[in-house]
Amino acid sequence: MNSPLRSLLFRSAVLLSATLIAACAGNGEGLDANGRPLVPGGGAPPPLSADFDSIQANIFTPICSVCHVGGGAPEGLRLDAANSYNLLVGVPSTEVPSLLRVNPGDPDDSYIIQKLEGHAAVGGQMPLGCPNTQPCLTTSTIAFIRQWITNGAPAGTAAAQAAATPLNVMSIVPDSTEPVTETPPQVMIAFNHELDVSQLATHSLHIEKLAPGAAPVAIEQVPARISVAGANLRALMIWPSRPLTAGRYRVVIDANSSPSFSDIAGQTVAVAAPDERGEGVISTFDVEVRP
Amino acid sequence: MIQRFTVAALVLTIVALLRAAPALAEPYLAVQTGYKCSVCHVNPTGGGLRNDFGLTYAKVLLPAETVSNDLDAWTGKLTDRLRVGGDLRADWTRTTMPNSPSQQSFSLEQFRVYADLTILPDRLGIYVDEQIAPNGSLNEEAYVHYGSFTDGFYVKGGQFYLPFGWRLQDQTAFVRQVTGINMTTPDKGIEVGWEHSNWSAQFDLTNGAANANTGSGYQITTQVVYTKPIWRVGIAGSSTQSNAGDRHIGGLFAGLKTGPIGWLAEGDIVHDDSFPGGRTLAAALLEGDWRIIKGHNLKLTAEYSDPDRSVKNDQQTRYSIVYEYTPLPFLQLRAGYRHYFGIPQNNQQNQQLILMELHGYF
Repeated sequence: MNSPLRSLLFRSAVLLSATLIAACAGNGEGLDANGRPLVPGGGAPPPLSADFDSIQANIFTPICSVCHVGGGAPEGLRLDAANSYNLLVGVPSTEVPSLLRVNPGDPDDSYIIQKLEGHAAVGGQMPLGCPNTQPCLTTSTIAFIRQWITNGAPAGTAAAQAAATPLNVMSIVPDSTEPVTETPPQVMIAFNHELDVSQLATHSLHIEKLAPGAAPVAIEQVPARISVAGANLRALMIWPSRPLTAGRYRVVIDANSSPSFSDIAGQTVAVAAPDERGEGVISTFDVEVRP
Repeated sequence: MIQRFTVAALVLTIVALLRAAPALAEPYLAVQTGYKCSVCHVNPTGGGLRNDFGLTYAKVLLPAETVSNDLDAWTGKLTDRLRVGGDLRADWTRTTMPNSPSQQSFSLEQFRVYADLTILPDRLGIYVDEQIAPNGSLNEEAYVHYGSFTDGFYVKGGQFYLPFGWRLQDQTAFVRQVTGINMTTPDKGIEVGWEHSNWSAQFDLTNGAANANTGSGYQITTQVVYTKPIWRVGIAGSSTQSNAGDRHIGGLFAGLKTGPIGWLAEGDIVHDDSFPGGRTLAAALLEGDWRIIKGHNLKLTAEYSDPDRSVKNDQQTRYSIVYEYTPLPFLQLRAGYRHYFGIPQNNQQNQQLILMELHGYF
């Protein structure tokens, strides 16, 4: 190699070396623990403790919801603050349906613990890729989740605050805002109050597959059933009787069923808006799954 | 034998006392020797199964002690048509984080087995990379290849690692994490490659990581490398179209040999629209490998990561020192120390790691 080129390469190497070695880590000023700018009026997450708010702020939001969020959430499990509790507590896992994701009072039989500790029967340890591509949760961190489950997996303060307002629908998963990229195991409707389960009919709705196009024309009907976990009466689960292939769907309340649900205090709320045919449509969503 | 283990234990102890540390990258061997990846590996983009020359290098040139030719050492060939190989890495690690008690454990990092079946010599074959442990069997690569891996065009079809930058063994390196292209993220699709003289180039059309279960979206990845005996330079790019948000990556990487030291450098920039509002990330790596004497290598690594260019004060750095001792063919001992520096409110970004590793390969 000629000497000018050799000199240029050597100088470039020295410059890059000096730059990298001199590079400093950020001082974190104005950031939260995840390196994101602090929201005015917000603040650092609470210290990790065995309560749901702390676990959400320190584990589910910064670590798990990097993947478990939105329409592409693996196994349909969204772990953002709006949905994690209702999709975890008392809900059967999709990988091992005989186990609840969180079985209140029984951490050893809670699928989330098995996934975090790396001895679940299906799939890899969570967070996915640990310890090779990211750290696993430490034993002491998982111990807080275990203790929360042992305590009965109580909801956080946000749920208590929401209970002070009239009965309302807090969220529906999936919804029409974005397509889901895996077959959704269930449709979830979350309320701010515990429901009066004695008023629920387990087979009062179905899921319709719609024809492509703007007009909602049903081309297939999939039976579905309703369930509410005893551990969490705020979340209504709608289970299709068979996997949903790619396409557009909507959840419809049967014509002879009430589109309203009530809480234990007798308040009612309509969960289904009437569509152009007068049927009660709970949710319309797109599934983008390969046939 | 006892003397050999005594020497190995002594070296490990000294290294630990010096807080030497782990680094698992192998491409420094290519830089130190001036070889292209395809000189030692079946796969022209590097890593995995070693070819005849790669095994000869592992037996003769790499270890401190060369075994006698009379010893019936491993040749990699079960038959003229079937070549197999593997890597097993067992670790002891001690991790220390602020405000947390230290943790230490033994672990089986990985046991992988590779196989290449020649169907038509120099034209058609099938390659498989299977992780056997931990956590059960996991297929990493499985593809059909047609054409020449050493000179000319070739085509791969199936599941394989994407070509982008230095194919480091350390998958936690910032450049491999920020790009999301590493040896834990194979993709399905086709690759067209070209190997000729000093040039190596690949073009890949694959599903894209965020499109595994969707009916739309794709990823295009391309890389070009020019190799000379004491230096090399490469450029890589990747673009993913996805319902989860598009992602575009650009990278430059280079290698330089200065006497007994091989230098590796890489800089990558990523624009990711799957993050709310979009964000731009950057990462860089500088690694120096000093081959002190035959069988002994000292590796120093400095890394930089900016997880969001629009956010101030969030940068992270990582420094590693590792000693690699290869006493015998197919056996390597590593010991090292790594220190992360990040924002003070995040403990994981400020962890320290001491690691010792036993690496057996064939």
